[in-house]
Formats: sequence, structure tokens, C-alpha cells
Amino acid sequence: MRSRYDVIVVGAGHAGTEAAAASARLGASTLLLTPDLARTGQMSCNPAIGGVAKGVVAREVDALGGIMGRATDASRIHFRMLNRSRGPAVWGPRAQCDRGLYPRAVRRLLDGTEGLDLFQDLVTELLPADAGLHGVRTRGGIEFEAGAVVVTAGTFLRGRIHVGGAAGVAAGRAGEAPSLELAEALEARGLEVRRFKTGTPPRVDGRTVDFTRVEEQPGDPVNFRFSYYHEEPALEQRPCWITWTGAELNQVVHRNLERSALYGGEISGRGPRYCPSIEDKIVRFPEARRHQVFLEPEGLETSELYVNGLSTSLPHEVQLEFLRTVPGLEEVRMTKAGYAIEYDFFPPHQLRHTLEVRGLRGLFFAGQINGTTGYEEAAGQGLVAGANAALRVQDRDPWVLGRDQAYIGVMIDDLVTKGVDEPYRLFTSRAEFRLLLRQDNADRRLGVMARDLGLLTSEQAGALDRRLGRVRRVTRWFQETALRPEDVRATLAEADSSAVTTSTRAGELLKRPGVSARALAEAGGAPFLGSEDSGLEDVLAAVEVELKYEGYVRREAERAEVLKEQAAFELAEDLPYADFKSLSFEAREKLGRIRPGSLAQAGRIPGVSPADLQNLVMEVRRLAAAGV
Amino acid sequence: MTRIDTIAATSTAPGPGAVAVLRMSGNAAHAIASGLIESGGLPGAGRSAVRWLRDPARGERLDQAVVTVYAGPRSYTGEDLVELSGHGGPLAPQLLLEACLAGGARLAEPGEFTRRAYLNGKLDLVQAEAVLDLVEGRSPALHRAALNHLDRRLSMRLTDLRARVVGLEALLVQHIDFPDEDEPPVPLERIIDAGAAVVADLEQLLATAPEGELLRDGAVTVLAGPPNSGKSTLFNALLGAERAIVTPVPGTTRDAIEARVAIGGYPFLLVDTAGIRSEADEVERMGIEVAERYLAGADLILLCMDPEDGVHDIALTDLVGSISAPVIPLLTKSDLRQSSGRSLPALAGLDGVLPPIDVSAHTGHGLDELVAALPRLVFSGLVTASADVVLLTRRRHRHGVNTALAEVRAFGQALADGVPAEVASTHLRPAETALEGLLGVIQQDEVLDAVFREFCIGK
Ligand SMILES: Cc1cc2nc3c(=O)[nH]c(=O)nc-3n(C[C@H](O)[C@H](O)[C@H](O)COP(=O)(O)OP(=O)(O)OC[C@H]3O[C@@H](n4cnc5c(N)ncnc54)[C@H](O)[C@@H]3O)c2cc1C
Ligand SMILES: Nc1nc2c(ncn2[C@@H]2O[C@H](COP(=O)(O)OP(=O)(O)OP(=O)(O)O)[C@@H](O)[C@H]2O)c(=O)[nH]1
Ligand SMILES: [Mg+2]
Repeated sequence: MRSRYDVIVVGAGHAGTEAAAASARLGASTLLLTPDLARTGQMSCNPAIGGVAKGVVAREVDALGGIMGRATDASRIHFRMLNRSRGPAVWGPRAQCDRGLYPRAVRRLLDGTEGLDLFQDLVTELLPADAGLHGVRTRGGIEFEAGAVVVTAGTFLRGRIHVGGAAGVAAGRAGEAPSLELAEALEARGLEVRRFKTGTPPRVDGRTVDFTRVEEQPGDPVNFRFSYYHEEPALEQRPCWITWTGAELNQVVHRNLERSALYGGEISGRGPRYCPSIEDKIVRFPEARRHQVFLEPEGLETSELYVNGLSTSLPHEVQLEFLRTVPGLEEVRMTKAGYAIEYDFFPPHQLRHTLEVRGLRGLFFAGQINGTTGYEEAAGQGLVAGANAALRVQDRDPWVLGRDQAYIGVMIDDLVTKGVDEPYRLFTSRAEFRLLLRQDNADRRLGVMARDLGLLTSEQAGALDRRLGRVRRVTRWFQETALRPEDVRATLAEADSSAVTTSTRAGELLKRPGVSARALAEAGGAPFLGSEDSGLEDVLAAVEVELKYEGYVRREAERAEVLKEQAAFELAEDLPYADFKSLSFEAREKLGRIRPGSLAQAGRIPGVSPADLQNLVMEVRRLAAAGV
Repeated sequence: MTRIDTIAATSTAPGPGAVAVLRMSGNAAHAIASGLIESGGLPGAGRSAVRWLRDPARGERLDQAVVTVYAGPRSYTGEDLVELSGHGGPLAPQLLLEACLAGGARLAEPGEFTRRAYLNGKLDLVQAEAVLDLVEGRSPALHRAALNHLDRRLSMRLTDLRARVVGLEALLVQHIDFPDEDEPPVPLERIIDAGAAVVADLEQLLATAPEGELLRDGAVTVLAGPPNSGKSTLFNALLGAERAIVTPVPGTTRDAIEARVAIGGYPFLLVDTAGIRSEADEVERMGIEVAERYLAGADLILLCMDPEDGVHDIALTDLVGSISAPVIPLLTKSDLRQSSGRSLPALAGLDGVLPPIDVSAHTGHGLDELVAALPRLVFSGLVTASADVVLLTRRRHRHGVNTALAEVRAFGQALADGVPAEVASTHLRPAETALEGLLGVIQQDEVLDAVFREFCIGK
């Protein structure tokens, strides 16, 4: 007798842990399988969460009741709000975490999730689906069955690590075995497989760094939390350091270029352009005299430092040689060598927006195996896949996030619509509604939806209510409170803005360039200023964008409405695109391959023109009329 | 490969002619043509050969023709295509066409070959429109503009402009998406300047629209004036044909008559109208109303007056005062008088009234001067521009460029007003979309490509 669950999640990385937690929160009995429970939620690369766009995703995951935000708050040892010099619309919270504490927090939150079982074993086989039930078999020969399976195997599928020009070693991460049988089992199901690569830089012993020769980069003193609903105790904070590479490093790299796995031709998979190795940077931008290097702490109880900016697949002795050309690192000892890893992924046009594999009902994919990179991207997908797996088993409607609702929605739509030709990472430029998708308002965008779906605990739902009430109150204060000229004289003068002669509403003054919401609230003695917590920061940021740039925000919202109308025009999955002769050949071919779910999605497929869309509407109507 | 039905049509104009070309496109084009060939078989792709064609059913010879074979996608339509150049005349082309239809092709709808070329990505929308303009071929100037469009000159301008709008977004995003990189943010002035350059180019393009559109529509040139002043005679003279009835009786022309004519290489739509006067019978009254409507929509007015006729009707002066198009007073029937016409005190002070010209439709006196003046007045920009100037020739073009212009301008204004880049950039996507819509092609999102090309990213 095999043990039976509603949902099985394979892999306990950032996708798998969110998938398992979301599924269990929806009330599905859930099993999380992973070869090494001690590495649950492990950070394979830099122990940092967030950044521009990625930080928004971490908060979206939190707004949806996920664990990433809380785990980050609980393990954060350095924090900066990126783009703080710009408007709050593009602020990107980024935290450096303690590599050991982050997974511990993840594990604590998983253990506190009702209906979730963890089991340590490697999945080696996917058993043929039988009467709607999927089965998996582990290396230990144990079988489990479930109505839905979420696969989140990360970089482990036929993973191969390269250091130097040698042929490479089979591995899922440094020191961990790859997942070979599962890769084969999935390929045997008829799925298209391709290879990508990524890399990681060396780590060094902080006790051997000359800190007098590097520049300290302190964290922001702000009162910020990723989580909207919970307050984790704060840890002691650590600085990062900045140093620069110079001509000498270029020479070392050039001299050894053919010994790089990348340039020696050992690696064929494509890597991300935004995360190039130092070899890449030097070859592609030969005129750049220096490159920035960040030294980032790996934890509170270790002196190990992550050398951000020097990702490489050169042999370890070359790594040490070039490290020692960098100011501050002249005497450095390397603790871990950098490496490149190649792995299988499944081109994501094979998925639906729920991350269910097309044609394989009940099988879901999330994370790196969909061609993405990054913890946040993995977590966002995991949450969507896990929730939809549970909904599938419960026979409930699927749940899909729109491009106007969340960066997670942008990402998944990009993945299934456009596919990937390099590891996919989120950027603000991928979103057409940048002003709507902000880090301060993910709870307002997604909270109610999450609550109604069942993703929030009652405690979280209560916190959500309080937050929504607060935004309303503060917004109303700005809209209704008239400030006296003498009260705002200093504030306006500081912003180089002309003085007012009559009492003027705060919201009106906020529209002026350089005048901040906080300054006006202080000038007007706003009652909500008393409690200085992270929630207040969010609210002030929201008011600042939404009132100051009201016209722009409204315009984006209007464009989002147009998109929604197109999204409401559904396209059946079995449309005979090949017969739609009023469409261009390219459009017929692409539509037939991607099989978009809506007109809006069809319109985002490169090669499908506005004229094709119009004709598509006609063809679909004609078909419907003929069917009657 | 998907099933594509095969279309056929005679591409040359019907009627007597040495050669008629039949074109056939679609999956079965090669097979159908091959079925007509008596011997020697279908030439290879990209080749032509002379073949006897016969009706496969009755075995009867149809014609001898040059058979040219193209294989998709390397053909005009992007599909398999065959051209049969046979003999012209009333019968031969028709027989060939019927044989192709009997072989399984279907008669092409008007413009369907070009439509397929567009749908198969062989032409963009602007090029496809140009093909239609070339076929209609109204004037040498439009022909020139259409050739430029077919040569992708306008398409390339639009593609380039769109790429530069994307580039603006890339300049902004470089530092928004990669704030911790080696590269410092792009200075705001550089972005504002780049935006201003795009605005200037869009404006320049837009400025060609009024004349460009007239190239397709023809400049509406209305002959107006008192009855019996010689309007219809002049109309006929400019056309070189007796289109309008001429009599010595005032009030002869009752309705408006339109005629297309190329003058100095530029297209005009000449309109002869009823003479305008205050006492008129009812039919004539209606004719006058029509004339007034034409005057309101005119690009140019030729105000015909016989100076010997004495006082000008007061209604006329009022009318001229209320219209916006330029007016050339023509002092007609110059052969009937010795000296040049008098000055026209009633009209002289009015805006847009040009110096009068003495003309005689009978002797041709002054007509050269008039014909030379017409293109310069309506197409002044084009007359002085070089032959390869790129024009907007359709309202669709003007509308798209105008939208893009308004957005990019608003973007620059917002940046100058201190609106943060990420907010101001809300204007850029609609601009891109407008330009894309003109070409009828959606392009891959290249903002990130542009960033990675230009900046060293990746810490
Ligand atoms: C060397 C390296 C460098 C990287 N560099 C960067 C970077 O610079 N920037 C960046 O954003 N991201 C980087 N990443 C990516 C980031 O680590 C991943 O995107 C993220 O961890 C993906 O999460 P995931 O949940 O999809 O997979 P993972 O975090 O890889 O988790 C996969 C999980 O699945 C388990 N598993 C695998 N096979 C099986 C099986 N058969 N049965 C059961 N369990 C299984 C594994 O044990 C693991 O727990 C890098 C990753 C690596 C390995
Ligand atoms: N001598 C001379 N007679 C002209 C000339 N042009 C027109 N006429 C005569 O003037 C008379 C009126 O000419 P139309 O061309 O019919 O005048 P119109 O302005 O069209 O008149 P309505 O249609 O009645 O308004 C005819 O008898 C013409 O032969 C000219 O250049 N020289
Ligand atoms: Mg007349």
C-alpha cells in the first residue's frame, strides 16, 4: 500500500518550500520530498533576498501568505532599499541574510504549517498516472501517490559543475548529487528539454581581508520588514564592502582564458547576460578599466565573505591569483572556489499559466526547471504551482495572476508566452505597469484575493484588515486636511517650491515636485505619525506615488483595464490555428505552438501583429457561429 | 506546413496588349501549372522557360507562354508562386485563367496577392499600402512616394524611431534595474536630449503629412466665380478634354463636376461649379449650395472673373472672406481686352488672396503661368524637396506618428518638470505601440537587449 497525499512536492528549494506551504494552507494534505532535509530552503548562491523587482516579488509572496518574506526578516544581517534616491515606484528592498539562519527560519515556518509532511528521499521515478493519481518512487524504493505533483528540482536535473577547463563533474550544487533519473523520467514523458548554465563566485576568509583598503558600505538605517503581516525579531546588522578590479586582474584572466570552462568550450548551455562571469565582462567590455566588487557577509557567526561580481569558471588556482590582484584581497585566503553549473530545464511554453504541464494533468513545474534564475522567481512560481495543485485536487477553479496584478503574473505570463532563451530574471522593465506593481502595496494588490482563496491564516487576515484600514485613513488625511500657510512654509521652502497664501490641502501640495509625504505629515502634525513601524513607511510611499502622480497611475490603470478586456476574450486550447488563413503564417505557427488562453496573451507573442489579433477575433467568432 | 489555398488572377489589365501575365500563388500553384504544361515540365524554382500550355481535360492548346517558378518563402507572396506570361488580348488570358481555376485554384480577390505578402511577412503594412498606390498610379509624385515606401524608406524611418523610443526606456532603466552596477546613471540631460531628438524627427515626418496625403487624394482645386465667367471653359482647357458644357448663357453649370488631373506631375482634383450670384432660380440655388460646400473643403480656389463684366457680386466677396484655402483670382477672357486686368479692390485686402493672373482659355494666354503656379502653391514642400524625401501619405500614418509624437513630447516635458524617470516613462510604451501599429508588426521586447548591448551589467 503506497501512502497517499493530495499533493506531492518534489524538492525543498525556494520553489518547493513555497509550493508545499501554499498547498497545505489551502487544506490539501501535502508531502514535501527532498534528498537532504537539512538543506531545506538552502541558498545555493549569494545569501541575499530581494533587489529591484525581485524585492517586490519577495513581498508579493508574503502578501500571498508565503514564507520567503518572514524567513528573510528573521535572518537579515544587512539591508538596503535600492533606488531610494528615486521615487518609491521603483524602490527595491534587498537583504543580505545569514546563510545558516535563513533555511532554519524556512524550516521553522514549514514545521508550523498544518497538513504538511516532510520526508527525506530523492525521487527517482514518476509512476504512470493511474485513475487520476500520480505516483512517485524514491531512491529508497518507497512509493507515494497524490492527485497532483509539483516538481521543483532546481539546478539538479543532470546538473554538471565546471571549474577550469576540465570536463566537469556531475552535481546538483557544489557537494550535492545531481538528479539523473528524474530528468530522464520527465524527458520520457515527451517533454522538450534544454540546457542552461549559471555560475557562482569564490568565497574568501574575511580574516585575511585588509579592510583598510576597501570601502565600507553600511546598511540603511530604515525600519523595514519584508513581511506585511508578521514581525520577526531583528538581528544585529553587518556592513558590506566595496573594492574594484584593475588592469592586473584583466591580464590574469586574459592569460588563462582558454582554461575557463566557458571559453574552453566545455559549456554549451546559455547563461544569463545580467549575471556574467568575470571572463565575460572582460571579453565583452575590454575598454572597462575596472569592475566593482562587493564583499558581502555570509553570516553572523562566520567570517566568510561572498565576492559579488567575480563569478567565474576558471581553475581555482587562477581564481586565487586574480583575487589577490584586488585591493584589500592581496593576502586573501579562498574558502570556496567559484564554479559554473549546467543543468536541464523544460522550456516553459509547455506550461499553462497555472504552471501545470500541458497535456499532463496534475503535473506542475516551478522554479529553476522552468528556465528562471533566482530565489524570488522560484518562490513566486512555487506558490502559484502549489496553490493550483491543491485547487486541481479540490476541483476548484484555477488561480492565475495578471500582469497588472503582480510581478509574479508578469513572470509567469512571460514564461509561458514568450519562452526563454537565457535564464529568466525579473526586471522592472519587464512590467508594463511599473507604477502599479510596487513593493509597498503588494498586500493591497493581492491580500484580499489570497484571503478569499484561503491562503492566509486568520492572524494574517486580521493584519491585512488593519493595514488596509490604515492606508485608507492616511490617504483620507492627505485628501482632506488643509494645511495652513505658516505650517508648510518651511517644508515648501526646502523643496524650492513657492509658498502658499491660503490653507491648502496636503494632497494638493504633495503634487509639487520635491515635496514629500512625510514632510507634509510632519508639518501638519498628522495623527498617524505616532507609531513608527515598517507599515507606516509603506503607507507613506503609497500615498506619495498615488497622489503625487495620480494622472500617471490612472493612465496605467486604464491601460490595465484594456488588457483585462482582452484577457476576458478567452481562446480555447484546441483552436484550429492552422486553418485560420486570415492570420499570417508566422502567427498561425506561433499561436498553434503556444496556444494562448486569451486574446491579451496572444497579443504578447512576438510575431503576432495587431492585424492578426483582429483577424483572430473574426475567425473565432466565425467558428462559434458555424458551431451553432 | 499548413494548407494554403491557391489563388489565381490575370495581373495585367484586360484588353488588347502583347503580353498578359497570370499569377498563381499557394500550395498547389506548382502542381496546377505543371498540369497545364504540354512537355518539358515545370522549370526549377527561380527559373523561367517557354512552354506550350494545353487544357488538360480536352488536350487542346491554350497558349505559348513564359513560365516562371518561385518557391515559397522566396516569392512575392511568400508562398509557392507561378507566373505565366502569355499573349494578351481578350481571349488568351481568359482561357489560361479558366484552366487554372479548373485545376483547383480560386479567383483571387482584389489585392489578395499583396495581402498574402503582408500576412506572410514579405511586406510590412506601409509597403503593402505602397503597392496599392503604385497600382493606382495617379501622378508621378505619388508614384515616387510609393516607390520610396516600397523600398522600406518609411518603414526604416519608423523602425528606427521605434528603436530610439525603446532606447529612451533603456537609458532610464539601466540605472533603475541595475542600481548597484559599475555604470553611473545616465545623466538626465542625455535622456532629455535623446527624447528631444526623437521629437524633432517625428515632427519632421509629421510635417510631410498634409502634402503627402494630398498626393493620394489630389489637391481639391475649385473653379468658382460669377456665372458665365468662363469657369467651365477653363476647366476643359486644364483637363485637355471637353468635360463640361460651355454656353454663352449664364447659369449653364448647375452641379459640380470633378475630374482628376496631373498638373506639373502633381495630382489635382479639379472641380467645376455653378456660378455664384444672388438672384437665381431654385435649381441654380442648389447648385450654388453645392459650390459653397466644395469651397469650404477646397485646398485651392481659382476664382474666375471676367473684368469686362463689371461690378462683382457682393455674395462672392463675402464667400471668399469666409474660406481658408488660398485663392487665385483669374481674370478670364484676356483675349477680349487690350490691357491687363484691373486691380481688385474688393478682394485685395483679404487674407490668402494671391495676385491675380490674366488668362484666356481660348488663346491659352496665362495658362502656363497658372499651371506652373498650382503645384508650387499646394505642394510647396515637395516641389523643393529632394526626390527621395520620405512622406506620410495616409491618415493612418499621420495618426500613428501624431500619437507617438504627443507621447514622446509629454515624456520630455515630464522629465523637464522633475517627474521621476520611472513615472515619466509611462509615456514611452504607448509611443512604441503607435509606431509598431503603423508597421503592423509587433516586435520582441528589446529594452533589456538595449541595456545589455550598451552597458556592462553584472556584479
Ligand atoms: C552555482 C549557482 C549559482 C547561482 N547563481 C545565481 C545568481 O547569481 N543569481 C541568482 O539570482 N540566482 C542564482 N542561482 C539560482 C538560485 O540558486 C536558484 O534560482 C534558486 O535556488 C532556484 O530555486 P528552486 O527552488 O527552483 O531550486 P533549488 O533551490 O535548486 O532547489 C531544488 C531542490 O530540489 C531538490 N531536488 C532535486 N532533485 C530532486 C529529486 N529528484 N527528488 C527530490 N528532491 C530533489 C534539491 O535537493 C533542492 O532541495 C544560482 C544557483 C547555483 C546552483
Ligand atoms: N473670348 C473668350 N470667351 C470665353 C473665354 N472663356 C469662356 N468664354 C466664353 O464665355 C462664355 C461662358 O463660358 P462658360 O465656360 O460656360 O462660363 P461658366 O463660368 O462656366 O458659366 P456658368 O456655368 O453659367 O456659371 C462662353 O460663351 C465661352 O465661350 C475666353 O477665354 N475667351
Ligand atoms: Mg459652367
